[in-house]
Amino acid sequence: MTTHSESVVERPSAGLDSAQKISRNLLLARRSLLPFLLVVELIVFTLSSNSFLTVGNFLNIASDATEVALIGAGMTLVILMGGIDISTGYAMGVIAWLVAYLNGVQTNPVLILVAAVAVGALVGLINGQLVAIFKIPSIVATLGMSAILQTVLFTLWDKTDIFSGPILEGLSRQSKFFGIPTLVLITVALYLVLYWVTQKTVFGRSMFAIGSNREAATLAGIRTNIVRIAAFVIVGVTVALAAVTYVGRVGVVQASTGGSITLLAIAAVVVGGTSILGGEGSVLRTLGGVAFIMILQNGVVLAGVPPLWNGLMIGVVILLAVLLDGIISRLNSDQQGSLA
Amino acid sequence: MKNTVTDSNHLPVLVAESISKSFGVTHALTKVDFSIQQGERVAVMGENGAGKSTLMKVFAGVHAPDSGIMSLNGDRYSPSSPIDAIASGIATVYQEPSGFGHLTVLENLFMGRQETSRFGILDSRGMAQSGRSLLDSLGIPSKLLGREMRSLSLAEQQLVLIARAVSREAKVLILDEPTSILTKSESERLFDLVDDLSNKGTAICYITHRFDELDRVADRFVVLRDGKNSGEISHPDRNKILDMMGSRTMTETKNEPVSKDAGEDVRGVSDEQLVVKGLSSSGHFSDISFKVDKGEIVGLYGLIGAGRTEVALALFGELPIDSGEIIFKGELYRPKSSQDSLSSGIAYLPEDRKIQGIFQFMNVGENTSAAMLRSLAKWGVLSRFKERTIVRDAMNAFSVKAAGTGALITSLSGGNQQKVLLARLIATRPDLLILDEPTRGIDVGTKQEIHQNIADLAKSGVAILMISSELPEILARADRIHVLHEGSIVRTLERDEATESLILEAAVGGELD
Repeated sequence: MTTHSESVVERPSAGLDSAQKISRNLLLARRSLLPFLLVVELIVFTLSSNSFLTVGNFLNIASDATEVALIGAGMTLVILMGGIDISTGYAMGVIAWLVAYLNGVQTNPVLILVAAVAVGALVGLINGQLVAIFKIPSIVATLGMSAILQTVLFTLWDKTDIFSGPILEGLSRQSKFFGIPTLVLITVALYLVLYWVTQKTVFGRSMFAIGSNREAATLAGIRTNIVRIAAFVIVGVTVALAAVTYVGRVGVVQASTGGSITLLAIAAVVVGGTSILGGEGSVLRTLGGVAFIMILQNGVVLAGVPPLWNGLMIGVVILLAVLLDGIISRLNSDQQGSLA
Repeated sequence: MKNTVTDSNHLPVLVAESISKSFGVTHALTKVDFSIQQGERVAVMGENGAGKSTLMKVFAGVHAPDSGIMSLNGDRYSPSSPIDAIASGIATVYQEPSGFGHLTVLENLFMGRQETSRFGILDSRGMAQSGRSLLDSLGIPSKLLGREMRSLSLAEQQLVLIARAVSREAKVLILDEPTSILTKSESERLFDLVDDLSNKGTAICYITHRFDELDRVADRFVVLRDGKNSGEISHPDRNKILDMMGSRTMTETKNEPVSKDAGEDVRGVSDEQLVVKGLSSSGHFSDISFKVDKGEIVGLYGLIGAGRTEVALALFGELPIDSGEIIFKGELYRPKSSQDSLSSGIAYLPEDRKIQGIFQFMNVGENTSAAMLRSLAKWGVLSRFKERTIVRDAMNAFSVKAAGTGALITSLSGGNQQKVLLARLIATRPDLLILDEPTRGIDVGTKQEIHQNIADLAKSGVAILMISSELPEILARADRIHVLHEGSIVRTLERDEATESLILEAAVGGELD
């Protein structure tokens, strides 16, 4: 025994401190990912193109961002609860077709808006039921929904692009209110409303609780199914709003409309700093993520880089953010351990 | 206590010195020393949360210690993984059999080290042969080899896992409460097997809570308390061991009148808060009947899988009830959901704090108010002022040690997290409180505080149903104890007649002697 006692090496609780330090540094890295990317992006694009850093270009970016921003806001709620909705793109395509069609046959703008929101909410309701009641993982449920909607859009489109003006003058790309594009005002208003909902209401608090620990939420008497369904319905509504602004802004609906927007919205949410694992994040952070992604899209074009690189960069940034989420959460649960 | 006198005939196999391990803010082990010799049988004792399992997991390569040093047969030992530990000769059999249920006993025995012929093809015949001789040598019937693991009794599974462990030429065999799910005769069979192994030179590390088997299983008793060595002894002196465990204080309070009186002066109305008659839920439990009076603490004891938690969940509205009736506060009650139960005055403290209790990304205040959000809101909008007041009151009532209501819940110790969960429930002003393992994995000091809280709640007239697998806790705290076995109440013991062995006998399925 004594021979062993002599060989005792004191490593005074270094383990704990360094583990905590690593975890804190990673969290810091996660938090500063977005500001860092934004600064790099602004510097690079300013240097590479003269027309990048102008008021006009930034107003352009802000208008172009409308649909990604609107859907990203709704998407944040679903991701906060540990879910995801990948049907948003083709849902927007289908609703946009409907809006353009109804506008073409001279329907009352208010009715068009109601119809769009109703279809969006219905899609969200079905998604929510599949996930909350039938317990299908949200990625699978909404993937199925996405495939169905893609076919619906293709069938409706029937080899004919459908052209339409905005349903209201205020929804056009040029429309401004006190010098600020109306589309930007609509986006900002939606973010403020959803931010208030997440921070100040029982519904919002319940969403964070569900994202943090669904089983504990159920046992604490939170109506988890209703809250989860409601979040999918809200996504559906934001998709409907996006479809309306899309028609006003772009003016044409094709078979591929909306196809790429889901990825951009999810990217905005996770790059913004909402954890893909749920429980942590904020609607306002997503706005930062939207800024990064839309500036990237714009700057790459102005700099004359082939748009192919766009996808590469967005993909890398999503993976990086999600990777950090995963590592941080693993470190945290290691530290809590289990003392059973 | 640091240097054990070494018998000159025996060599220390495993020596651990000054082992420390922390999980976040919780110090699971602080400078723990341990050594075991060839063929020695050492029992490791301590309250739940004392660090026994963590220490064993350090040996088994599951956790890497933060500091300290280990040696195996004189060589430096620092396993990088459980596989590494097994290869070095440290085998562990965990409390609940953890085999592969859908595979045969033979496949289980050779999992991870299958014998192959050329080209990597499994050598089934060879394995069957060595499997048979392995089981024969341990006195386990070899006809089990072809059976699926899940078709075996728990005891048989346990024996197969021990066989698997020793077949890898274990120098040290760690047994984590192996008899907690076994009947008396099954335990005897296991003891014989262990004796046999120890005679052949395998060192046995034995974790147990059962005093009645102590003299049968070990030559030396090492006691841990709050993650530190608290002493060791070479004969199983119950009182001395309890002293070292820090459990004496708890056991001694047994005679203190706990409650009762409070219930009686509640306006002469019937005392009965909850009456359960013939409650059944298929596949979980059947024909459960008991009652809980105001101010009474009723204990529910049973082994894992006996249906304790299921009864609690059914009362709480989270498990469907097939038949039977519940009378709550004098009226027929049929729980529909957890929301329903909470608003009717039934609160449930879940069994697993981390998985079912805390919201790890939320702060202490948000964790406290989670079960009463709707009463803090008007038109769905939360009143921060109301929330802050109620949270502060609740945290004070349980003297939660936290940096403030804004502190992250994960920065609190396990005991304080548990207090937060209790505060969450009490804030809903329940009439019936169901506590599922209220002090699991909590240090001795906080445990006593929580016991006091529970006693105070009972005194204030709350009916309490306490589920616990800790015998000292349930013996000391419950006015009446119902013992569950395979989904039925097999025994009901009043406070003054309950003893450890009576409860255990009933829990493993009879065998009254």
